[in-house]
Amino acid sequence: MHELLDGWTAPQAAADPDAYLRAILEWHFSPATGSPFWLERAPRLGFDPIADVKELGDLRRFPDLSDELRTVRAEDLVPTGAHGTPFEVFESGGTTGAPKRVVDGLSRGRNVDWVGRVLSEHGFPEEGNWLHVGPSGPHVVGRTIKHLAASRGGLCFTVDFDPRWVKKLLAQGRTELAAEYREYLLDQVELIVDSQDIRVLFITPPVLESLCSRASLYERVAQRLEGLMWAGTSVSPETLWQIENTFFPNASVAAIYGNTIMGIAPQRPRLDDDTQPCVFVPFFPQSVVEVIDAEGAPVAYGERGRVLMHLLARDMFLPNVLERDTAIRLAPAPGGTTDGLADIAPFQDGTGTKVIEGVY
Amino acid sequence: MDTTPTRIDPVICGASTPSRDRTQLRALDGTTLAEVGLAPRLLAQAAVGRMRSAADRTAPDPEVFAEAGRLFAHADLEGESPQEYRERVSAATGAPIGAIERASRGIEESLGRVDLLNRSELPAPFAVAGFETHWVPRGALLAAVVPNNHPEPNVSWVRALSLGYGVLVRPGSRDPFTPRRLVAALLAAGLPGDKISLLPGGHEIGEHLITQADLGLVYGGPDAVARWGSRDDVLVRGPGNSKALVDVPLTDALVERLVDWIADDGGVRCNNISAVLVHGDHVALAERLAERLAELPTLTPTHPDAALPAIGEDTAEPMRAYLGRVTDGAIDHSSHRYPDGPVTRTEDGHTLMRPLVVSTTDTHGDLVGTELPFPFVVVAPWEDKDDTAPLRDSLVVSVLSDREDLIGRLLGEPTVRKVVAGPVRPWTSRPEQPHDGSLAGFLTEPKALVRALPPS
Repeated sequence: MHELLDGWTAPQAAADPDAYLRAILEWHFSPATGSPFWLERAPRLGFDPIADVKELGDLRRFPDLSDELRTVRAEDLVPTGAHGTPFEVFESGGTTGAPKRVVDGLSRGRNVDWVGRVLSEHGFPEEGNWLHVGPSGPHVVGRTIKHLAASRGGLCFTVDFDPRWVKKLLAQGRTELAAEYREYLLDQVELIVDSQDIRVLFITPPVLESLCSRASLYERVAQRLEGLMWAGTSVSPETLWQIENTFFPNASVAAIYGNTIMGIAPQRPRLDDDTQPCVFVPFFPQSVVEVIDAEGAPVAYGERGRVLMHLLARDMFLPNVLERDTAIRLAPAPGGTTDGLADIAPFQDGTGTKVIEGVY
Repeated sequence: MDTTPTRIDPVICGASTPSRDRTQLRALDGTTLAEVGLAPRLLAQAAVGRMRSAADRTAPDPEVFAEAGRLFAHADLEGESPQEYRERVSAATGAPIGAIERASRGIEESLGRVDLLNRSELPAPFAVAGFETHWVPRGALLAAVVPNNHPEPNVSWVRALSLGYGVLVRPGSRDPFTPRRLVAALLAAGLPGDKISLLPGGHEIGEHLITQADLGLVYGGPDAVARWGSRDDVLVRGPGNSKALVDVPLTDALVERLVDWIADDGGVRCNNISAVLVHGDHVALAERLAERLAELPTLTPTHPDAALPAIGEDTAEPMRAYLGRVTDGAIDHSSHRYPDGPVTRTEDGHTLMRPLVVSTTDTHGDLVGTELPFPFVVVAPWEDKDDTAPLRDSLVVSVLSDREDLIGRLLGEPTVRKVVAGPVRPWTSRPEQPHDGSLAGFLTEPKALVRALPPS
């Protein structure tokens, strides 16, 4: 299946997002196809999601139920109409308390297929092995990278990487132990690149910085690398410049922004008049991302606001999720219709709960 | 003073390297002094990589350093005159400008004799026919994390250059001016570019450089001592906690002398006296010191006659709270002499630190030896039975006593780094003498070379 939903290819959905939204709502709120999670909550919404929600703006009528994803039975999230498709469960990073769980069968694969096409625009190699130095296990990014490698005919090597453990160390100020953990990851990377032909690397910036500081390992990696994909924490402009020009001048470098709820927004290829080095574009309209001010109104282009996201996928519907991130909203690139996001930074709400960005 | 902010960029292997990460360095009165390009970890790592591949361990000619010292003190460098340099450091750090002027001369003098300074700290190498001992560098690269309180500690990394090291300097956040000027002077004097990098940045950049270089030199407070103190590849220069022992009658001359030891250069140096241990009436001495120190003029640090350091306005409240906590339980001999306490605001909008004298009877408590970057002194009683115990952990101990046995025991005390006996300023020295152990001994090690003798 290469459609987002029966009868809807991605370009069709992007051309008429409101009609796609109505189809998604019909899927999730019809007794024959919807999930127990939504069918149980529908009567308490105070409106009829199929009859009353006509356009994307109406999504704001839904409550943000994402906190319930921390405790709800995961099988209740699976749409009845999707039974027969193998499903998997994933968890958020757990930066702010217990993780949120999401389920997915095919939807995120569509997002990843599109990311693969964007990577080609960046000049990523169409073949060759990948190395994923990032979370796997409950974290969806591990499957994403494997999917990208497989779709380009490469093998995907992985190392065990537990971001929650590192975040816990950092929260407790145990920075030396966190550094030791990074070195332990690099020991494993070293054993892979010693004998395997790695052409594409996924890595988080703190681990990449440590990799670049291990001269012999760095040289072996940089020699062969044709594609470098990074994500997880923000980097300073000079750090990005050093990555692209000093350390990996022969590789295509692209970042992805994403999370468990919304999927992946890849960096789009840079334009001559870009003022931001990394502009991320979500997989619209399966992922609808708004950048809003304190009152909930969209901020103007060029302004920073808080990220509000809606997941409109066949395998999961989740509206109105206010993220811990802020971003600068940018106008669509010429020829595009989807707003860009840039300079992602943690949201500071002033309540004193410190968000640990960590290595992921 | 020229009010256009100066631009400071990282220097990699002698070449100025503009960074996209930038911050503004503001004077303590809020005006912008400099626009500083910061080195993130990867830029620092790029510098380490290039320095490492260029490192050849050759020592430049001593004349390079002598010339650099002259240029540092007298030349326009990076579009900055010596006077502008001194004003910037004073305005950024709050140190009285006179202290910076004296430091400039001190740096010039030290750079004029780096060879002597190094040799004086090492035993003369053994040499007879066929058998030679050479003092050689323990590594190729040194990371130096330098402080803000005073320019002269920068001499130590210049000495490492003179021994053949390549040096990566992480300047203090408030005084990048001194290292920048020194680097410019050294390059102008002929130092090969690949011997030096200057990498402004946060704490984590210092950590990274120390991890990546062969040896590290760190100036810092108790945190730095705790972090690096146990490493034999890192030399930590911590707080001075310098002390004086007074075992002589209380006279006007004694009070004048102690005032000078406590408050010279605004009390910002590590060898200014922070504690006075008194055999006799310690409260009376504390009163006399407070009375006399309170007369120091409250002038803006950049005034030629300034005697007191400034702090940022935003640190005034935290400083008051901190002083309240740290002196809790002690007697404050100074604050009642000032209209608004030791943290005071001048008419032209500076926040100055006026001298603070406190006394305590807890000779062995933590307060004795507490070092703060202004004329701050703790006065406590001392008796024969206390012996050297309350004088430990000191960069300098000044002994005003005729107890020769005490001087001998202080010299034998590892945590006392220098002993001054009699009415001599604590920082009195000769170039042949160590300031705090052997820097050259840390940077170099003896190595044997044995040659077969030609057949006779």
